[in-house]
Amino acid sequence: MSKNIIKLEVKNLCKQFGDLLVLDDISFNVNKGEFLCIVGPTGCGKTTFINSITKLYTPTSGEILLDNEIVDPNKHNIAYIFQEESTMDWLTVFQNVEFGLKVKKIPKAEREIKVNEYLEIVGLTEFKDYYPRELSASMLQRVSIARAFVTEPDLLLMDEPYGQLDIELRFKLEDELINLWERTGTTVLFITHNIEEAVYLAENIMILTNKPAKVKSRLPVNLQHPRDIADPEFVEIRNKVTELIRWW
Amino acid sequence: MNEDISIDSVQKREKSGYIIISLISLVIGIFLWWLFTEGLGTISHKIMPGPIRVFQSFFSKFYVSAPDGATLLQHLGSSLQITLLGYVIGVAIGIPLGIVMAWYPKFDLFARPVFDLLRPIPGIAWIPVMIVLFGIGLLSKGMVVFLSVFVAITINTYTGIQQTKSVHKWVSHTFGASNIYTLFHVAIPTALPMLMTGLRVALGAAWTTIIAAELLASTKGIGFMIQQSRGLFRPDIIIVGMIAIGITGSVLGWLLGLLEKRVLKGRLSKE
Amino acid sequence: MNKTFWESKWAKPISAFISIFGFLLIWHIGVNSSSLGELMPGPIDVLSRFVGSFSVNIGQYTILGHALWSLSRVAIAYSVASFAGVICGLAMGRYPKFEAAFRPYFEIIRPIPPIAWIPMAILWFGLGELTKYFLIFLAAFSNVTLNAYTGAISVDPELIGAARMLGASDNQIFRTITIPASVPHIFAGMQISLSSSWATVVAAEMVRSSEGIGWMIVSGMEINNMQQILAGIVAIGLIGYGLATFMRFLERKLLVWNERGA
Repeated sequence: MSKNIIKLEVKNLCKQFGDLLVLDDISFNVNKGEFLCIVGPTGCGKTTFINSITKLYTPTSGEILLDNEIVDPNKHNIAYIFQEESTMDWLTVFQNVEFGLKVKKIPKAEREIKVNEYLEIVGLTEFKDYYPRELSASMLQRVSIARAFVTEPDLLLMDEPYGQLDIELRFKLEDELINLWERTGTTVLFITHNIEEAVYLAENIMILTNKPAKVKSRLPVNLQHPRDIADPEFVEIRNKVTELIRWW
Repeated sequence: MNEDISIDSVQKREKSGYIIISLISLVIGIFLWWLFTEGLGTISHKIMPGPIRVFQSFFSKFYVSAPDGATLLQHLGSSLQITLLGYVIGVAIGIPLGIVMAWYPKFDLFARPVFDLLRPIPGIAWIPVMIVLFGIGLLSKGMVVFLSVFVAITINTYTGIQQTKSVHKWVSHTFGASNIYTLFHVAIPTALPMLMTGLRVALGAAWTTIIAAELLASTKGIGFMIQQSRGLFRPDIIIVGMIAIGITGSVLGWLLGLLEKRVLKGRLSKE
Repeated sequence: MNKTFWESKWAKPISAFISIFGFLLIWHIGVNSSSLGELMPGPIDVLSRFVGSFSVNIGQYTILGHALWSLSRVAIAYSVASFAGVICGLAMGRYPKFEAAFRPYFEIIRPIPPIAWIPMAILWFGLGELTKYFLIFLAAFSNVTLNAYTGAISVDPELIGAARMLGASDNQIFRTITIPASVPHIFAGMQISLSSSWATVVAAEMVRSSEGIGWMIVSGMEINNMQQILAGIVAIGLIGYGLATFMRFLERKLLVWNERGA
């Protein structure tokens, strides 16, 4: 596998809001095709961190490089799946999924093929002419996921995308996500405060400390997908991560 | 299942019962109106004409130009012409202004204070200013209508754009969309329902304003017609005019409602 | 921190000052350097006239007197209309039969702007105060009624179900749940009504009156005195703004529990 190429490089990232230091000197690399989960206590600045990558916030200091270039959403192909529901209520499911492709000026014929392909993968083909208000929460989250994957992003950011869903749906969507990731080879940065979710999904887990956030440690999860949450190895890793987070 | 049906039919029966009540109420109302005017003659027709007389005047006003110099449709046409002129210009300027103010905070900082200064002044208060400046023609009335429309539409557009959800802007930006692209593909679609409301509110304001302007100083138009008829003690024509004003306002609102349904397809039925 | 000017707390007041000052300056220069000046007084003239009219009579009263005339008309008719509107709207919500009987008239009258009633009102009530009261009443009544009605019928059905389970009677439910729950709606209706009442009194005074702010601007028109018109408009704007602010203040104070007030 080509997994030794560095995709994302974060160097000494700091972010301050007024006098409040939120991110304190964060540095790490993500390899191409890696699935990295970032876990940390609630409110530790995970969202701030991910927003710095997309330029929604400008970092106070430090650099973020994607493919050895300063990250820039206009140049790089980034997709972001947000914590809150983010489908656009004036567009149909099809048009929602198409949104990113249109921004990137992909020709219409190609857009159509791709959108249909990804709608098929997330199982929304028959709902493609529905409007968001006619769909359930989990279907809406699938629309967001399809909208992100359809652009075949170099880097996919996910900020607790399943935080609002119930457990059963979450497992289902997590399996779908792993499936998509394995198919597409996208580099994924997945933020969560749910340790089990992280261990279930990630190849590598990065643990942040409480505010101001620093990198506490990073450990691999060498288990085959699909994972079994009752597997002793799984439980062991989960306990380890829990220990690392429970700093107090 | 059975229960559902029976509840449904009960509701239907109740509903049709209410319609009957409405009808009876209307019939009684019209009968009383007739009784005290044309029936018993309690109220002079110089104060309140009876329903039959109003009915007759309504139809004869379509071809009779007495006593105020023009037929109903001529008056209406004149009023509508000015209303639509002022409305179209007001909308054409108000929508872009509202959008730019809401989307560019720096522009907003400078434009809003002046806008807020003019905003609490009702459109009709500008009538004397415009009459002194432009005389009592089409221009002065058009300007007053324009001002009322402009304020209403700008506020609604502004509010609509401001309702854009941050998360939608982020989605757009992280896909690499420019600020302008986000404005046209995220903010303006978000604002559309408010914008449509604005169009409707502004149309109501325009219609009210033109009537006021014609009442005050004019030589034609529906407002002029009812004001003239007062001087001539022809309340039947006043009522005809008021009915025409009401119907025209409703029809204009209904037309905009059709447009709204087309524009907001898939988003309505929310309520 | 590299906080720019735009993010500082000074941005708003400073830009507002520049903006309004710039507006007045353009007005001033426009009037003084072109033929527009023959028709249009400059901002200094208007403001000095506005201030001056507090001590010099226009017609029978000073500007304050005219404003008080207009305001008192609004106060009387608006209060009556609000009261009647609330009763009527709630009754429509409470008794469907009453609604069925009343609704047709409401729907017939509602599309007619209050201003269009001016000639009829003068014919019926003459040139006195009653005409103005009637017009303001019309302007305020339908909005308050409609909002009270909407409030009364849009009470959360679960709340009513819960009360019914606890054995509350229809009347109790109406008194303790429906009425309080419709207060925010009623308030919204009263806010809209107040500003349309204000516009209507101005219009009514413009058409026929011998005092009031509306009379002041229309008499300015008749004698071609633009300063007087504009001074009147300044007063109309200030009062309109004051009334809206007052209502918002009341809403915040009285409806602390309600989200709409935020």
